[in-house]
Amino acid sequence: MAPFRVPPWIPALFLAPALAGLLVFRLGPILIALVGGFTGSTLRGETVFVGMRNYADLAADPSFWSSVRVTLLFNLIINPFQICCAMGLALLVLRPTRGVALFRAAYLLPMTVSIALTSVIWTILLEPSVGPVNGMLKALGLQPQPFFRSEGQSLVTLILVCTWKGAGYWMIFLLAGLLAIPRELHEAAAIDGAGAWQRFLRVTLPLMRRPLAFVLVADTAINFLLFAPAYIITHGGPAGSTALLMFEAYQAAFALLNHGRSLAISTVILVIIGVIAVLELRLFRAAHERTG
Amino acid sequence: MAKIARRGLGRLSLAAGAAAALGGTPARAQAPTTLKVIWMGWPDNQVNPLMEWFEKRNPSIKLAVEKIPFNQIFQTIEVRLQARNADPDIFICDSPLTASYGARGHLMDLTPHLDASRFAKSALAAATHEGKIASAPFGSSMQVMFYNKAMFREAGVAPPPADVAQRWTWEKTLEAARKLTDAAKGQWGYAFEQSERPYQLLPLGQSLGGVALSQDGFKASGFIDGPAFVEAYTWMQRLYTDWKVSPQGQFDPNIPVEMFGNGKVAMLVAGTFSVATLQQRFPSLDFGIAPMPYFEKGKPVTPTGAWHFAINPRTRNQSQTLTFLRDFMTEELHSLWFKLRPYPPVLKSIWDAEKATFDTDMWRIVRHELDNTAQPRPATPGFREYEDLVRVALRDIQTGADVKAALSGAAQRIDREMQKYR
Repeated sequence: MAPFRVPPWIPALFLAPALAGLLVFRLGPILIALVGGFTGSTLRGETVFVGMRNYADLAADPSFWSSVRVTLLFNLIINPFQICCAMGLALLVLRPTRGVALFRAAYLLPMTVSIALTSVIWTILLEPSVGPVNGMLKALGLQPQPFFRSEGQSLVTLILVCTWKGAGYWMIFLLAGLLAIPRELHEAAAIDGAGAWQRFLRVTLPLMRRPLAFVLVADTAINFLLFAPAYIITHGGPAGSTALLMFEAYQAAFALLNHGRSLAISTVILVIIGVIAVLELRLFRAAHERTG
Repeated sequence: MAKIARRGLGRLSLAAGAAAALGGTPARAQAPTTLKVIWMGWPDNQVNPLMEWFEKRNPSIKLAVEKIPFNQIFQTIEVRLQARNADPDIFICDSPLTASYGARGHLMDLTPHLDASRFAKSALAAATHEGKIASAPFGSSMQVMFYNKAMFREAGVAPPPADVAQRWTWEKTLEAARKLTDAAKGQWGYAFEQSERPYQLLPLGQSLGGVALSQDGFKASGFIDGPAFVEAYTWMQRLYTDWKVSPQGQFDPNIPVEMFGNGKVAMLVAGTFSVATLQQRFPSLDFGIAPMPYFEKGKPVTPTGAWHFAINPRTRNQSQTLTFLRDFMTEELHSLWFKLRPYPPVLKSIWDAEKATFDTDMWRIVRHELDNTAQPRPATPGFREYEDLVRVALRDIQTGADVKAALSGAAQRIDREMQKYR
């Protein structure tokens, strides 16, 4: 019997919708941002080529640099923090005990709330004058806190709110990784006299490098692109303390009517994410290669 | 009226489809034209009757009205206009944005379609861009100070008089606010309705002689960050941070009004339009009205300017949009609008026709202010940028930022953005 041959156009046909989506919704906008960063628009909406002017303006603008600092600081804290929380939650719900499914669902639940709704909910909860969280603090005899209204607390509060929403989601990926680790390895290590902490460091973590690498890179990209809470809750303030780059890009386009600037900022974000993702992947690959 | 929703439009098309299926007259021949309208979305019961009135009068025109909350309306309009297509046909327009939209080609010239002599002078000035009427005046505005009579009685404080000649100073207002504040009860002495908006807060600096923007409309440095505004906003900041007589961070204008209605705020500077909301939401509230205060060493200044509407020059339904314009400029509609939401009317005939209505403390104050103390917001094609950047600075100032630094930062950014209009 002649072997069944798949005509070459069949795989292409099946891949076409996904590739078209990738082209239209991913690569297309990236290309528009890359080209658009070198353009400006006239008052009547015509696009004109302006060379490097948008980037030169950004380089000379202290508010842009302040936003870069805020974004880097935000990511430097939130990414490891979210992953630690996700890992902690995954370890908590790893063992098949009674009711564990309930806890897994409870931790995952915030993921099902949209980021816009999350922002609205936490704006109400953390409202300094009439919000319920401060109400509880007062009832407990504690000092009410300004949360999003304070330059010192706003970024930390933003990180906590985003972690509330994000940690459960990343937990699922890490939980899948943990469940894939053969029990025999833990049992062998235990027989060799390794304690729980040692087993975590010497067995679990090395075998979690791949899921961790994925979660770290994906989480970094998502957090660099975070926009809604800065827009809905803080409007970038107080005093620019939560002015993330994505919010600045939005402001440039729709409050300051400066599309070229907005696209230039988007390109800067893209470059930063690209560089950091490559570094993160190299870090994990190097560690993976070291451990053989 | 087909509300914003696709559901509404869906129902319409379902109905049309059903009619066709049942062998009725061909749907196409009778299908009404739908105008897409972006309008203020607060509150529904003050907006819907206008649209219903129009649809009843014009059965061949349906209105798909997107009602947008105050905090999102300018951004929403901006996003839609920047697409530069035929959507929306009609949109609400804050009067100082007329120049901004006009300079960017977003406004149809309404000069041939409106009788300029019918409008109050200030409203017409705000509607005019490059010598043409570019937006249709739909209401003016004025701020007054509402006070809760019971709270004043309880605190043993004499209330502010309605007489503009005996207008309270901000200093006296603060003195009363301190007596009326009771932190233990969650009770505040004073609040601004729009506590982050240049509209309500520019008059503080202007009261001390400040000028908010250069005469040519393109320079903010040396103006909005000048000594008068720094002094005025330092005083304003202390209301929240030092004297703690005002609730901090209540940037949604509905919340201070609610707090006033619930007896949590004793004095509220707010628009006349809030009267309707207070009377409907809190019918038993006993409140009085006084003129907006001023600084002792300065002069009384009040804000004005309000909602106009505009027609997208790219509309594919020009004759229907002009019908909308014609009907929304009738005395009947303006009278209905005034009853629903009492903005000071822009049609001179309404002031004459409703003489008895205007014979109250509030309207006497309003008429005086419009003639003597009202200052419109700066006239500049870059008002959208100006408003947003000053707004951010005012938020920061309220929550404790360095006043001079916040204003100078905003001024520098405004100057940078204004370059595109030069």
